[in-house]
Amino acid sequence: MSTIAEWAHALMSPSPVALIVGILLVLSIPLFLHSFVFRASGLTTLPSILLIGPSGSGKTSLLTLFERGTSAAQTHTSQAPISAECHLPVGTLASSDRYRSVNDPTNLRHKKFLLVDTPGHGKLRHHALASITNPQNLKGIIFVVDAATLSAGDEGLRHTADYLHDILLVLQKRTESKNKAVKALKEIPILIAANKGDLFTALPASLVKSSLEMEISKVRSSRSKGLLDSGIGMEDEGDRDEWLGEVGSTEFRFKQMEEFDVVVEVSGGNVAGG
Amino acid sequence: MLDTFEILTTSGVVLWSKSYSAISPAIINSLITNVFIEERTLPGAGIADDISAANNPPYKYDQHTLKWTTVKELGLIFVAVYRSLLHLSWIDKLVDNIKTIFVDLYGDQLKKPHTTIVECHFDEYFDQQVRELEKTALNQDTRVAEASALEEAPISVSANLRDEPPPLPGILSRGQSKNTFKDLTSNESTPIATPDTSRPSTPASHILTGKGGPGGKGSRRARKAANTPSAYASSGEESQRKGRPKSSGPKKGRKWDAEGMADEDSDTPLDYSTPADGVNLGDDEGKGRPGNVEGVDHATWGSKTGKGQFVLKDLDDQVNSILATAGAKKESSTASTGIVGSSINAIGGLFRNVVGGKTLTKEDLDKAMKGMEDHLLRKNVAREAAIRLCEGVERELIGVKTGNFESVQARIQTAMEASLQKILTPTSSLDLLREIDAVTSPSALSLKKKRPYVISIVGVNGVGKSTNLSKICFFLLQNKYKVLVVACDTFRSGAVEQLAVHVRNLKELSAREGGEVELYQKGYGKDAANVAKDSVSFAAQEGFDVVLIDTAGRRHNDQRLMSSLDKFAKFANPDKILMVGEALVGTDSVAQARNFNTAFGAGRSLDGFIISKCDTVGDMVGTLVSMVHATNVPVLFVGVGQHYSDLRNLSVKWAVQKLLSSNQ
Ligand SMILES: Nc1nc2c(ncn2[C@@H]2O[C@H](COP(=O)(O)OP(=O)(O)OP(=O)(O)O)[C@@H](O)[C@H]2O)c(=O)[nH]1
Ligand SMILES: [Mg+2]
Repeated sequence: MSTIAEWAHALMSPSPVALIVGILLVLSIPLFLHSFVFRASGLTTLPSILLIGPSGSGKTSLLTLFERGTSAAQTHTSQAPISAECHLPVGTLASSDRYRSVNDPTNLRHKKFLLVDTPGHGKLRHHALASITNPQNLKGIIFVVDAATLSAGDEGLRHTADYLHDILLVLQKRTESKNKAVKALKEIPILIAANKGDLFTALPASLVKSSLEMEISKVRSSRSKGLLDSGIGMEDEGDRDEWLGEVGSTEFRFKQMEEFDVVVEVSGGNVAGG
Repeated sequence: MLDTFEILTTSGVVLWSKSYSAISPAIINSLITNVFIEERTLPGAGIADDISAANNPPYKYDQHTLKWTTVKELGLIFVAVYRSLLHLSWIDKLVDNIKTIFVDLYGDQLKKPHTTIVECHFDEYFDQQVRELEKTALNQDTRVAEASALEEAPISVSANLRDEPPPLPGILSRGQSKNTFKDLTSNESTPIATPDTSRPSTPASHILTGKGGPGGKGSRRARKAANTPSAYASSGEESQRKGRPKSSGPKKGRKWDAEGMADEDSDTPLDYSTPADGVNLGDDEGKGRPGNVEGVDHATWGSKTGKGQFVLKDLDDQVNSILATAGAKKESSTASTGIVGSSINAIGGLFRNVVGGKTLTKEDLDKAMKGMEDHLLRKNVAREAAIRLCEGVERELIGVKTGNFESVQARIQTAMEASLQKILTPTSSLDLLREIDAVTSPSALSLKKKRPYVISIVGVNGVGKSTNLSKICFFLLQNKYKVLVVACDTFRSGAVEQLAVHVRNLKELSAREGGEVELYQKGYGKDAANVAKDSVSFAAQEGFDVVLIDTAGRRHNDQRLMSSLDKFAKFANPDKILMVGEALVGTDSVAQARNFNTAFGAGRSLDGFIISKCDTVGDMVGTLVSMVHATNVPVLFVGVGQHYSDLRNLSVKWAVQKLLSSNQ
């Protein structure tokens, strides 16, 4: 009996602390609900272009060049991704503007987009993968390579092909993904930017393309012959059906990716120097 | 003298830099990869915040020494690069001061999203700091070495110096003084009178701002003194502000607004005050200071600044007040906030614990980290590795805000997951087959000669070296390589026969697959290094693709046997040296991995681990982490059973999941 009375007493005269906590709770729940519900709906972000590539290929340099317009900043190895707001030059037609009238005044405005740089170091590539598997208005990918390290038998060629193979494979398998945003990625253009064309040893774009294709063929076949993963029993990793491009083909060609709505293009250039 | 000072972001963009002599970008890149990304020095060091440059281990690379500090919140890195030969006692102070000033001036700009551009006109501030710190260092040095070199001093210098002992001109190298001179003349191109009267600068005072140089080398006192200025600079500045409230008031107002910055930059550094004024000024400042020894010291130094005349007083004041406020802030943050404040904080903390948005402090983390550490220990992670992992995570999390509806526990869990993933992920992909192909059938263009690919296996006794060698062999045979198995265990009786049995089995198994395998053995008692060397040339003659060398098991603390590995590595020159470690091993794993990793002499280390018997430990795969953690060498394969086919590539995801799962 007395305990009930005590209980009632305690309930009726709460300590100030409990009171404050209670009031705070009541006030904040709607706020949290709001932020929770509306965060999920997703703000409309600017269209974004992703920069991917092995370390030292010139991604960050390219980003700063686009942002500054005149010349690239000095850079070092990146540890964290960064995005920068860039503009297309006035008068450039984005493909989303195909149906606009030529006289549409919006054509005269700068088109803004986000350029997203990712670190290329082997231990930090999860940033790049996350940007693909969890895309924010992703419109295209620029895969930057250092054209001066792609000659046959070079370490650089092997590492570049490895990385490119993995990225293409993720894109190829995007339809199997559980993430709706990934599935919604319809066409993904990939530009392979053969950077550092100013250097003496740099390969021209056509050679970059063929040597990458050749090396990816090797990656593909050696991956298929490799050992099983130790995680083979795990649910979402089961299938070993990881053949990039056309099944049964001996040579990999970037054209084979078109079947998966991934259009690959190679072009040469240089960010710095001359 | 300093070679280069750079301020860069974690995303790799250099925000500001000053180069006295050009250095290769590879130097700073190697700091970033080794210290920050691969954490070769100490895990978590790269992300630790607010540690003074003096507490971060200096990084040495190719005759250069790098001193650095970071600001985690803004993702900034401050690096000073200088020749290792030089002893620059003031460099730590410089890095710290520059950090404070830069963050104070441009912190707001740095928080803007979607841009890499920071408008900064930082040169003057930097020059001012270098001048000032060098001067203090020089002061200390001269007092130490005051006896010598008087006769060499130019007359004007000693005249200007009043009661200060002269600097040692002999110390100044030509290049150094030229450097200063260049800076000065560039300043002179924009002479604008300051509120103080102007006067011509004399060449003597150029020299006065010269370097401490190697004079400080080896002098304990100088080094010690250079570490103290924090105390006396800030106390001095404070009294200075008290002494002249009128002059510092309006200036202070000016320096905080962003627009004002540009103005200040245009009326650059020339204080052309007359000598007389300079002296007066100095005296005034001297009066404002407390009369203890340090105060006097500071007064003379101040008067010299008066005559130093390259520094705009405004800039000095501004920098000093920034440094002083930063110092004060640090002190006040350690003071308690009173009972009311703390109890409100406590409630807020509890509340935030549930709903997230809490800024983590060491106290919040301590208990949860202890739990994480115990968890890792239960997973058979060696204590040393577990502690360092937790320390790394803790340092990363202090000062971080938890997300919405995220508990501290969950935050630690995610941070640990990321940390484990980073450790276990190899720096470059480990595709053994392709590496073998590159060596055994090199591209026609690359001018390399075809040769066999050599793999050797090392490890302590009884961990399963021969078994795992056979598994690798089986894998290679399946891929139709021609393999030579070499018995280099010329020590333990029965070892050669054991290997012979394996090879016979493998021959049978691979007969229909198309691979080819032979045993190379020279019996017992021979020198293993020689046997290995002979076997490699034999394999080259006979056209083998891969040579697999089995070595004698040895205790990692057996000095004699371990030292023979050095010769072995030189003679056999393997493409890959793999160490087999047992998943069961526990605490010993760290020492094992470390000793084997360093046993092959300078410039050679392990290339990978094979962790055997993973099937017997269930979730307790901590050995993986311990070994990789101790050496930064990746795990190439894991053994998961008794059959030849029970060899797997390591899936990082799998390992991390096992390590963090809590079903026990
Ligand atoms: N010669 C030449 N050098 C270039 C060119 N583009 C970039 N570089 C240099 O290449 C180096 C690496 O460039 P970064 O942009 O930092 O490389 P990254 O791709 O961002 O590398 P991570 O951040 O490590 O992934 C820098 O020193 C650049 O100056 C170019 O077109 N020509
Ligand atoms: Mg980068």
